[in-house]
Amino acid sequence: MTGAAMPAHTYFEDVEVGAEHETPAMTVTEAHVALYRGVTGDAPAESGIAPEILVLCLATGLGWRLERPPLVVLAFMGIEWKIVRPLRVGATIRAVSRTAVKRGMREGGVVMEDHSIVDQHGDVLQQGRFSFLVARRPA
Amino acid sequence: MTGPARRYFEEIEIGEEYVSPGRTVTEADIVLFAGLSGDYNVIHTDAEFMKTSIFGERIAHGLLGLAIQSGLLTRAMPPYATIAFTGLKWKFRTPIKIGDTIHVRGKVIGKVESPEPDRGVITLARTVLNQRGEVVQEGETDLVVERRPTA
Repeated sequence: MTGAAMPAHTYFEDVEVGAEHETPAMTVTEAHVALYRGVTGDAPAESGIAPEILVLCLATGLGWRLERPPLVVLAFMGIEWKIVRPLRVGATIRAVSRTAVKRGMREGGVVMEDHSIVDQHGDVLQQGRFSFLVARRPA
Repeated sequence: MTGPARRYFEEIEIGEEYVSPGRTVTEADIVLFAGLSGDYNVIHTDAEFMKTSIFGERIAHGLLGLAIQSGLLTRAMPPYATIAFTGLKWKFRTPIKIGDTIHVRGKVIGKVESPEPDRGVITLARTVLNQRGEVVQEGETDLVVERRPTA
């Protein structure tokens, strides 16, 4: 992305290691599973269970609803992820995250966040680490 | 979900390879995925802004590529007697743009018996390539698969 300044965004300089965030919650429905299956061709392993990657996709969408200004992500670099337990359709998920690592590069910087997706009982469904390339604040 | 077509842990061999059909990723896929996931980041949704970016145009969500490859490889593999998908290590190497055609190559690279006698973990390496043969995404997935039931 070039230097066109976007208002109210979180740039690399604004990221604080140790900062914690919790997203709003959402209920995962059969409609999500059907839409996901239609778009991606990826199907649930068994009826009534949400495809694992759908749960991950919904959780990243929840991340965009945080109260902090959105992170200026130049590139999603990678994921290291564990699926701890399946999600039954009808469960309500939210994501909690903590900024773990921040490393400056010539073009922007790498930010690593530890994320957990939890259900309405507080049980962890999935967890792991995301790595992003984040823009520096335009001079 | 039992049937003769599902392959048990014992029947899956290290080095087995699978090649999926191709799929062209369209603007409609990206728009639908934004609506489904709630990820409306400008890099996926604002064509005018993206004209000024290093990519020159909107790019697909990385997770859309991850999800599409999952669907594609499933179409190319004899089904496993899968109990659970438990782990993912993934790198997004280069963006998928509107109109790109991707396919995925899978290879069995790991096979480890679990402490429980009825299951084991199969690790599949996956490489997602575009129409120019460039690696757009790659990584590994761990699947817990049933062992053949003892009579």
